[in-house]
Amino acid sequence: MTLRKLLLSTALVGVASAASAEIKVGFIGSLSSDTGLSTLRGAEMAIEELNAAGGVMGEQIVLVTADTQEDVTEGVKAYEYLAETEEVDFVISGSIDDVSLGWLPRMQEYQIPTLDTWTSYIGIIDMVVEDPEGMAPYFMNIASDEALATLYINFGADVLKAKMGFESVVVLAEDTAFGEAITGLVTEGLAPVAGIEVKEVITYDIGTVDFAPIFSKAESTGADFIYQVSSVNSQVISSQYVKLQVPMAMTGVNVSALGLEYWEDTGGAGGGISTLSPVPSVGFALDPVSQKFVDDYQAKYDSRPKMPHFNGFNAYYGLKQAMAAAEEAGGFKDVAAWSSAMLKQDLKLEKDGKLWLRYGFWDYDTVEPVTNRTYPHNALFDLEAPYDFAQPSMVVIQWQEDGTVGVVYPFEYANSEFVLPSWVK
Amino acid sequence: MGLRWYHFALWAAFAAGMFLLPEIVPRGTLRTIIFANFLAIFAISWDTLSGRTGYVSFGHPFLIGIGAYTTAILTKRFDVPVEISIPLAVLMTMVGGLIVLLPALRIKGSYFALVTLAMMELMYQLVQVIRPDLTGGTRGMSGLPTLTRGAVNGFYMSTALMLSIAFTTWLLMKTRLGTALSAIGMNEEAVAGSGLSVTRLKLVAFTASAFTAGLGGAVYVHYLGSIAPRALFDINFVFTIIVAALIGGAGTTIGPILGAFFLTFLLEYLRPWLPGAERYLIYGGVALVLYMYQPKGLIYLMGQAVRRVRKGAA
Amino acid sequence: MLQVLIQGLLLSGLYALIAVGFTLVFSVGRVLNLAYGAYLLIGGYAYFYFAQSLGLPKFAGVLLAGILGCVIGLVKYRLIVKPLKGDQVAIEIATLILAVVLQSAVILVFGDSSKILLPIIPGVERVAGAAIPYSNLFAAVASWVILLALWWFVKTTHTGRAMQAVSMDAKGAAISGVDADRINMITWAISGTLGAVAGVFFASYTQLYPGMWVAPLIIAVAVVIVGGIGSIIGTLIVAHIVGFLEVMTSAFIAPELRGVFTMILIIGILVLRPKGLFGREEI
Repeated sequence: MTLRKLLLSTALVGVASAASAEIKVGFIGSLSSDTGLSTLRGAEMAIEELNAAGGVMGEQIVLVTADTQEDVTEGVKAYEYLAETEEVDFVISGSIDDVSLGWLPRMQEYQIPTLDTWTSYIGIIDMVVEDPEGMAPYFMNIASDEALATLYINFGADVLKAKMGFESVVVLAEDTAFGEAITGLVTEGLAPVAGIEVKEVITYDIGTVDFAPIFSKAESTGADFIYQVSSVNSQVISSQYVKLQVPMAMTGVNVSALGLEYWEDTGGAGGGISTLSPVPSVGFALDPVSQKFVDDYQAKYDSRPKMPHFNGFNAYYGLKQAMAAAEEAGGFKDVAAWSSAMLKQDLKLEKDGKLWLRYGFWDYDTVEPVTNRTYPHNALFDLEAPYDFAQPSMVVIQWQEDGTVGVVYPFEYANSEFVLPSWVK
Repeated sequence: MGLRWYHFALWAAFAAGMFLLPEIVPRGTLRTIIFANFLAIFAISWDTLSGRTGYVSFGHPFLIGIGAYTTAILTKRFDVPVEISIPLAVLMTMVGGLIVLLPALRIKGSYFALVTLAMMELMYQLVQVIRPDLTGGTRGMSGLPTLTRGAVNGFYMSTALMLSIAFTTWLLMKTRLGTALSAIGMNEEAVAGSGLSVTRLKLVAFTASAFTAGLGGAVYVHYLGSIAPRALFDINFVFTIIVAALIGGAGTTIGPILGAFFLTFLLEYLRPWLPGAERYLIYGGVALVLYMYQPKGLIYLMGQAVRRVRKGAA
Repeated sequence: MLQVLIQGLLLSGLYALIAVGFTLVFSVGRVLNLAYGAYLLIGGYAYFYFAQSLGLPKFAGVLLAGILGCVIGLVKYRLIVKPLKGDQVAIEIATLILAVVLQSAVILVFGDSSKILLPIIPGVERVAGAAIPYSNLFAAVASWVILLALWWFVKTTHTGRAMQAVSMDAKGAAISGVDADRINMITWAISGTLGAVAGVFFASYTQLYPGMWVAPLIIAVAVVIVGGIGSIIGTLIVAHIVGFLEVMTSAFIAPELRGVFTMILIIGILVLRPKGLFGREEI
């Protein structure tokens, strides 16, 4: 039977690719997005440096990749491929939220040490809280979205209310779970903490072609500014905001503005847009170690992204930490030992004598003082000035109309000032 | 009925061959076969309705989605055990599908294709808007109970399911009903003229198709452990199902299985060499060329080859 | 109110332009070209490449996009539609596969991150609380002009009348000496050109991304179903129904339900009046 012949030939190829003595790292993420490439390249550079220094436990590290196409089912297949065909020791992920959620059950099944560098979904950290054993191999080295939103409220109080004098807001949120979560957190915090009244929450569909009616609706609420929440197709809403010259300030979350290519991709039609960003973001001043990473990166790669997104840094430092944890735990096989070694990793980077970036993880018991909850296996972050425990969970960056970008909040990290677009009076 | 002993012998040999695989192939390959099995189930379901009767559905994920979402919501939100939720999901697919698509069966040809496409789009939008607390909205749901753990168990489960669905469908199509359905595909007026109720025949085909889609969708979601509207109600998913059925050979039972395995393995084999989007370019290109070369599919090409060899031997 | 009217008119003009190329092939050749959205994809990216990356004049960008669309339309007809000899289902499937192939090709060349087109004409006018970007106004006006020119072409020229004849009765037209193959080829070329030009305008409204062929295809399908195949004027009217439905849903009900009503309209019409609101007419 021909079908069987086909399957038998599969078997032969499978046997041929059996592993030799080396440490195998699997990358999971989209190979054609800037996000995915940032993680991939961050990992590649870390591996190159480690191999040049003699490898880990005397073995060289090899990297295999599995593309997710940012599709949930492809993500599951990709994880299975890494786990069962390639039999990797460690997985580094540049997956978006729903893709990570898709393969997480597989990770729990295979118990392969895994580091997520992009998704910030707090629901995954909640899974670590509920099932510490099953989730032991999982780490997320970006501050979770809840921490991002919490600090963002302070931006509302310190800048939007105190400096700009804004009293009321209309929220324009995309109809996604991410949008829902962030909107909920922000609307709950804006009134009590920042003293800004939420006039209305307008939810829009991510396939929206024309935002003119939605902006008209927002204007008619009489609010002082628009708070946007947009992770999918965010360029559309921001470029239409600029094209339509909507006469209100707009700030919030705009995921597309997180990369240096934003300016080129929008053809400059994105000035005035500000967004919260995980650290280190574009426009963020870098400590010497991170700056060297960026310089090496730019010497090595000449295609986009020109500058790694935050997850590129996360992958670079995180992969080294994972390998250090493996040295300590005698490899990746003993997941519990690796997990506790990983939890103890702590990298402090300083700039001008001040703690600038810190790569480490929350343990199971420490309660974060502002939100009053635990964040096991999530990246360390700080929600209070002067940020001497770790870096803030997020910064607010703004693209100016001349194409420059800088951090506007928190003030300790700011290198430019929050301004209104020229057409807003 | 045209049933012969060697038909059953071939089925038995096929099943035996499949069940022997875990002894010879590595686990990674088994995982690939699992996805091929599910794709085969969906392709068989599509073929039962579209391949036979010529009513091409572009919205098959609509049916699969009803099954998948019903069991996902029942198990996740109401803690219903899987043994109860899967049959309910199948029932729901048949009933829901009938209510919604029954009026559409009056429409012929391209318009039927369009209305099913619209139905899928509608479902995609509604799932995200209506009761996101139940459906999980855009992000979908994860952490659903899984039926099996490990590649080998998943392989046995999906293979058993695929084989029983394929065998049942094959038997059904060997009856006079199957012949009548194929006749609709060739000439609906003639069937009506011969005194058969075309509507009732179409209804049976649709119900059988919905049953398979619902069952496949429900089990699939408990295999994946998660569900997301973007991956489910997607024109690329429709594409994969239809192409599997057609590349293999529409209007047959073994064709969709063959197509599903061929395409799934093509995609997996390309992975080590072309990890990125190039894979889909080649995948689509191969599918297009094969389809243009022989719309009757691989099964026909293989039959032709066999005939040629026989002729050469004679 | 006036604001809804303005926004509705602008969006509907664009939708009419998107739908008309699809309708044309459907009524003349009786085939659903599911790769129609790919013209918009290719057109949008071609304009981006020529006008934005290479910095050619914008008009040249639109022109080159149109030419590319025309060529793809012709190639598609020669290599896919003609060999399948009018087998509707086969053509639908083959074009669907083609659309996916083209999408992957775009990802390979341009990557999968979204891109924004610069306004074709920068600037914005505010009327009665509605902002009218000159670009959108230009897109709407251009699509009206193109549609009227097409209508004039079909009604008055020899070729146009031959197209009408083929769309009404292909066999009859063949008997009376019309070369149906040539007419079909012309129709596919026009459809490709219109699709690619619509792609430039569509992308300048929203964004360029590799999956952008699906949304316009759905719009075109909606217009064809609701309008019934045929008539350019019918297409224009129905594009306005669909466009206004969307703008009014956003303004008065809830923006997230934007597409839901369009889909319900499609399904309702198909089930109740399978031939569409305007039935079958010649183009």
